Amino acid sequence: MPDKTITYEGLTPGYKFPPAVYELGASFVSKYLKAVDSVGDGFVPPLAITACAIAAMTGSIPLPPGTIAIHASQELEFFKLVPIGDTIECHIGVAQKIARGKMSMLILEIEVFDKGKEKVQSGRATIALPT
Amino acid sequence: MLTEIQEGKALNPVVRHITQEKINLYAEASGDFNPIHVDESFAANTPLGGTIAHGMLNLAYVSEMMTSAFGRSWLSGGKIRAKFKEPARPGDTLTINGKIDCVEQKDDVSYANCSFECRNQKGEMIVAGEAIIKLSSDKR
Repeated sequence: MPDKTITYEGLTPGYKFPPAVYELGASFVSKYLKAVDSVGDGFVPPLAITACAIAAMTGSIPLPPGTIAIHASQELEFFKLVPIGDTIECHIGVAQKIARGKMSMLILEIEVFDKGKEKVQSGRATIALPT
Repeated sequence: MLTEIQEGKALNPVVRHITQEKINLYAEASGDFNPIHVDESFAANTPLGGTIAHGMLNLAYVSEMMTSAFGRSWLSGGKIRAKFKEPARPGDTLTINGKIDCVEQKDDVSYANCSFECRNQKGEMIVAGEAIIKLSSDKR
């Protein structure tokens, strides 16, 4: 997923990261459920899907040296359940980029589709980058 | 799950203790190894002064409360808006509370509008937000 050619300056509204594909197998779901102290019900927890999208996103942002990225807010809408073992595709784009004094904010749009190209969830994440 | 969807009804709270081990497990499961979460010496030298839990780990606890209250109506028809107000740190105990603020009808479909908050043992607000759940027919 990471686009090695993009720089932080190049992340402008409208930029789309290359899509990231994940196979949500039983071992992933089991690890996720253990990490969040939860029990499953045969489907992939929606926030496990979001976790993949967020990880793909944070791994793709080319941060200026010495910068830390802090998740400031999250909006999500869930449309359908995903069975364990299915594959998803995460699409992430830059909606806004804001600079306020010593703080930069990236607002990113997330859309996740299943293997039938049906939308599974969508959302918006705000990432704060104190400099 | 809730047997009755009523305005003002409190959701069953969720209480979770944050440890570095849980944060590391979450990093491994999600693939998010941002050093602010997993590298204690790196994090100690940032303005945050130490590692913090992933915001999405804290939000997973909120989702657990919503799942417990609304089941599949939440999992495939939920909408959430959350602000991460303060970081949760290893050693924190988080308590997530929520309630149904109102139930609305739109185009013959019922929606439960909820508010929630997650606080640490000192009462500091870690996450706050709202959720809307499209209720299935058995919940109307």
